[in-house]
Amino acid sequence: MRSKLRRIGAAAAAAGLGLSLAACGGSGSDDASGGDAEGSKGGTLHYLLNAPIESADPQRVYYGFQLASWRRTLYRGLVAFPMDKDEKAGNTPVADLATDTGTPNEDASSWEFTIKDGVKWEDGSDITCEDFRYGASRVFANDVITGGPNYTLSYLDVPQKDGKPTYPGPYKATPEQQAEFDKAIACDGNKITYNFNKPWADFPLAAAGMMMTDPYKESFDEGPKSEWKVLANGPYKLEGGVWDKNKGGTMVRNEAYDEKTDDPEKLRLALPDEIVWSVDGSDEASEIINQRLIADSGDDQYAITTGRVPATMLQQVTGAVEERYSNVLSPYVRYLVLNAKSMTNPKVREALKVSTDIDSVIKAQGGDKIGVPAESLVNPVTPGYQDNPAFEGDNAGDVEAAKKLLEESGEKLPYPIQLSYAKSPTNDAAMGALQQKWEAAGFKVTLDGLGDTYYDVISKPDKKSDVMLAGWGNDWPSMMTVMPPLFDSRPNVSATDCNNDYGCYHSDEFNKKLDEAANASDLDAQIKALQESDEILGKDVAYIPLYVEKFNWLRGSKVTGFDVTPASSSYPEIGLIGVQN
Amino acid sequence: MWAYVVRRCLVGVALIMALTLITFALFFASPVDPARFACGKNCSAEQRDVTRAALGYDKPFVVQWAGYLKGLAVGRDFPLDAEQRAAAPDQVTHCAAPCLGYSHLDSKTVNEMVADALPITASLAIVALVMWLIGGVLFGILAAIHQGSLIDRGVVGGTLVIYAFPSFAIAVFLLQYVAVKWGIVPLPRYTEIADGGLWAWFSNLLLPALTLALLYLAGYVRMTRAFVLESLSEDYIRTAKAKGLKSRTVVFKHALRAALTPLVTMTGLDFASLLGGAIITERVFTYHGLGMLTVDANNSSDLAVLVGIVLLAGMIVIIANIVVDVLYAYIDPRVKVA
Amino acid sequence: MTSPSNSFDDGPFLVVDDLSVRFPTSDGVVSAVSNLSYEVELGKTLGIVGESGSGKSVSSMAILGLHDRRSTELSGSIRVGGDEILGKGEEAMRALRGNDVAMIFQDALAALHPYFRIGKQLTEAYLAHHPSASKRDAEKRAIEMLDRVGIPQPDMRFKDYPHQFSGGMRQRVMIAMALINDPKLVIADEPTTALDVTVQAQILDLLQDLQREFNSAIILITHDLGVVAEFADDVMVMYGGRAVEKGPAKDILVRPEMPYTWGLLSSIPDVEADTNAKLIPIAGNPPSLLNLPSGCSFHPRCPHTGKVPGNLCSTELPELLPARSGPTHFKRCHLADPEAVYREEVLPEIAPDLLEEDR
Repeated sequence: MRSKLRRIGAAAAAAGLGLSLAACGGSGSDDASGGDAEGSKGGTLHYLLNAPIESADPQRVYYGFQLASWRRTLYRGLVAFPMDKDEKAGNTPVADLATDTGTPNEDASSWEFTIKDGVKWEDGSDITCEDFRYGASRVFANDVITGGPNYTLSYLDVPQKDGKPTYPGPYKATPEQQAEFDKAIACDGNKITYNFNKPWADFPLAAAGMMMTDPYKESFDEGPKSEWKVLANGPYKLEGGVWDKNKGGTMVRNEAYDEKTDDPEKLRLALPDEIVWSVDGSDEASEIINQRLIADSGDDQYAITTGRVPATMLQQVTGAVEERYSNVLSPYVRYLVLNAKSMTNPKVREALKVSTDIDSVIKAQGGDKIGVPAESLVNPVTPGYQDNPAFEGDNAGDVEAAKKLLEESGEKLPYPIQLSYAKSPTNDAAMGALQQKWEAAGFKVTLDGLGDTYYDVISKPDKKSDVMLAGWGNDWPSMMTVMPPLFDSRPNVSATDCNNDYGCYHSDEFNKKLDEAANASDLDAQIKALQESDEILGKDVAYIPLYVEKFNWLRGSKVTGFDVTPASSSYPEIGLIGVQN
Repeated sequence: MWAYVVRRCLVGVALIMALTLITFALFFASPVDPARFACGKNCSAEQRDVTRAALGYDKPFVVQWAGYLKGLAVGRDFPLDAEQRAAAPDQVTHCAAPCLGYSHLDSKTVNEMVADALPITASLAIVALVMWLIGGVLFGILAAIHQGSLIDRGVVGGTLVIYAFPSFAIAVFLLQYVAVKWGIVPLPRYTEIADGGLWAWFSNLLLPALTLALLYLAGYVRMTRAFVLESLSEDYIRTAKAKGLKSRTVVFKHALRAALTPLVTMTGLDFASLLGGAIITERVFTYHGLGMLTVDANNSSDLAVLVGIVLLAGMIVIIANIVVDVLYAYIDPRVKVA
Repeated sequence: MTSPSNSFDDGPFLVVDDLSVRFPTSDGVVSAVSNLSYEVELGKTLGIVGESGSGKSVSSMAILGLHDRRSTELSGSIRVGGDEILGKGEEAMRALRGNDVAMIFQDALAALHPYFRIGKQLTEAYLAHHPSASKRDAEKRAIEMLDRVGIPQPDMRFKDYPHQFSGGMRQRVMIAMALINDPKLVIADEPTTALDVTVQAQILDLLQDLQREFNSAIILITHDLGVVAEFADDVMVMYGGRAVEKGPAKDILVRPEMPYTWGLLSSIPDVEADTNAKLIPIAGNPPSLLNLPSGCSFHPRCPHTGKVPGNLCSTELPELLPARSGPTHFKRCHLADPEAVYREEVLPEIAPDLLEEDR
């Protein structure tokens, strides 16, 4: 049984949960149906969560579905992604608490925003520039505010020592340190300026998708004790102000919220008067929740869920139930990583690649409702996505070509490899399918299904694994949140740990492309460098893409406007959803 | 008697210290890095070192253990970083003795978490206990007085069949079919007596408690049957019959009274171990008791919570042993505790 | 002796006639008691003597209906106060037990419930047959009985548990419990075993006193002929589930005609006996009730089979026939003149002085 927490929390969990794009571009997928009835204000929506969230503190939230749905309900940001189904529009931030989407300087190393008038916290106080600065500063107290994204640590222009910022966050900072930080994020009335130590071309995307630059009211802050407290500024507030990790919470209308400061059509319709979030943290949560949705009785008629319909339950989705069902592409890609330390022969890597039977893997995982073949590690809807040329061709696995390559490699055959993966019945079957083709080609495959310790084991440099199953979803719609965290050896690899670079892959040529991308002052240049970096990974067979996951959603019969968008990470777009009254 | 209790308690304290040490040692022998979870999804190796230090996991484990024992004895303040505490005194959480620890992931003391979870687990254990005791004793007696007959075989065989099912399967069956599909009972969700009254509390406990009770039922049926058969063959039962007592009185009063002694021992110890948390049942029914807390803590490598629960479970078992021994003296007038 | 009268005033209170008790088991049928007949009158004491497994306890359990009904075959007749009880239902038997017929068991430590106070065990016995009596009445009666059987401070001891009493006192409690409902028939099953000799005497005296007082019939089951000599009016010796000799105590003790009885007599440890007397145990083991020896069940252990012509002892079961000493004395033996054998061969061995006196 897979542990839910690990699925969510592991640094690079297979079902990575970063915010991202979704609803496959254009695409042959059955798109989410546009909503069953015209939505109107009022009523109570029930959101059934199949796992507990990790924190209610905006600076500690890193769970894709939560970032997206709380952006629509509790926490507004400087900018936000609109609820547009079009991948281009949906991936382009619009103004939220700020008056526009920001003005960069020439090399995009400095960004300026103006905060709207009349935007307020739920207690009626104004949201100020200082609140934004304070929120951003909390991320630096990463011994207290643990868990959230911390990209800003390497970007904000504060004094550094050994490549690390010396600013310890607002709690421990000396007046001098605080003064330095207040220069990095400068406040001038309603005007806020972010000064970075290098260009950050996609900063608005990061600010829209993550909450690391969200405002936080200093007088409300109790450090670690604030983990479950909510001070909302969106259309809803949390009843009681404290989230119950095990039970959830009820969102009610926030009277201090003024619709006029917002763009409801684009950002949040906020239809229900109440949204009841209830957590079911059990291992069978998805089964139970979807059974309930199939039964469609009582409050469950007004319910949506984060629990996907398990592949084994898909055959129950027929008739009337099918009208309440959506099958959508997700932002998550599953891939195999090759251990650069043990799989050193390029011909062998190539042979493994060409004989990888993606079709059978998908079949074993549950068929075309569960995934479609991937041609790159990057999700197809990410701006700048292109098929990686290294993975062109059919997906059934070419045994003959692999045989030839192995013969040419000069290695003793059959070539032994160990395939490691997080153990589950479907993974067992899928990996078995890989094993079959690979062995036909001349490999000798040892299957190594691991339990809860999986990611700890495969991040060790001295592991026995030669090939590892992994998954990733980008944090915001940019390849900057894909290639650098997964294959840049510099932040990842140490003597004792390869971190997210499970294969301990190291390539100076590749790293150089990443630096180019990081320092690019416009998105086009950044995209070009990243495309080239993916080509290098493909050429080196650093990874082998398997499939893009698809999500299967059910909802209650009285739910209106159900849809998914790129901004909602293919989870229910709560900004659009209402209930029949 | 009191000297006995004190002596047993002292041994208990030593056992508990050993328990914490073993838990610490096991935790640090595991390849799981506790900082991975606290640090988040996209965490560089460097970042993780900072997190590890912030959680105190960078210290030698004996030091951590000693700190833990200190908290148990006199309490501790969190965060552990003195500088941090001085800088932000309003963020300090005091964990009074006996401090079971502090979960950085939940920003709560383990004592608070246990205080939330224990009533749930205890409710579950109590209702289950009542179910399996009533069922076990009644069926056990039924089988005993019909020894060798079809009834006897039916009862023993039937409970054995139930016992053969993993509790996981029973739990999922009860939840998916009885609650969700057939809707015979509403979906069980733990309800405090204070919130919904006694009936709401009880009716929500029915299915999970039944799951647990079925697990223990077979054992108690067989035990009761054996104990009752044994006491039915005693001389004093013949005396009771010779006095002209009704056979109901003979079985339920005289035979059961004697069979009660070993039953009470078993029940006490089983109940104590259940108070440590019924992991599978709690997990399937989403009861946030100690079992669920244990699994969550294990999955997120939250050492403080793990040690705290091990400690608590250990204490419960040790106390239960003492209680059962003392109870024995009351149940069996011939026994003198010394 | 099998008077058809329904009123037991003019006949024995207990009449056992041709009683057989069998337990079918997977190994075969255990014949615990075969064709047993005896009777006891009010105010009289019958001693039933035999080794363990001779059927003496089983027959009395049948009188109380304490056998396992499903696994026991009973035949013959048991009449209590003229009333046939074989075939009676459980409820009727329950009404009889502890009321008209009470039982005193050996080893009071095991026979009293270890977890109940003796007061409770006594009142319970009383209330079982006096459903309308109050708890207080029952307690009063219990304390009265404890006092009667010689327990000091009965109102205090009332609250004690059995293990807090000495062996003799515990046996007194058993007796008090058996007599609490004024039974007309008391079956005392080895009431003095496991007690030391002086206490044994006290208990027997107590029983005798009580019998005089209540005029009850007593069956005293024992393996000790010495006890019988002290106490019983009539004696029945049992072997292999059958009566092998019965009659007035005096006849059996002075002029026994069955070699097994001789054996029992010679194995009496008598403190008063003279030192010349030998204590002679009976050779061999009691027979298996599953597979009784052919002919006379005692023949494998009998030293006198040679005096019987042919192999009559091992082929033919002797009838229970009147003995020479009197019409109420019966014996089951093929010996032509057992009295002579006893006088000439047995008596000199076991009681030389007695022989002297006789001459």
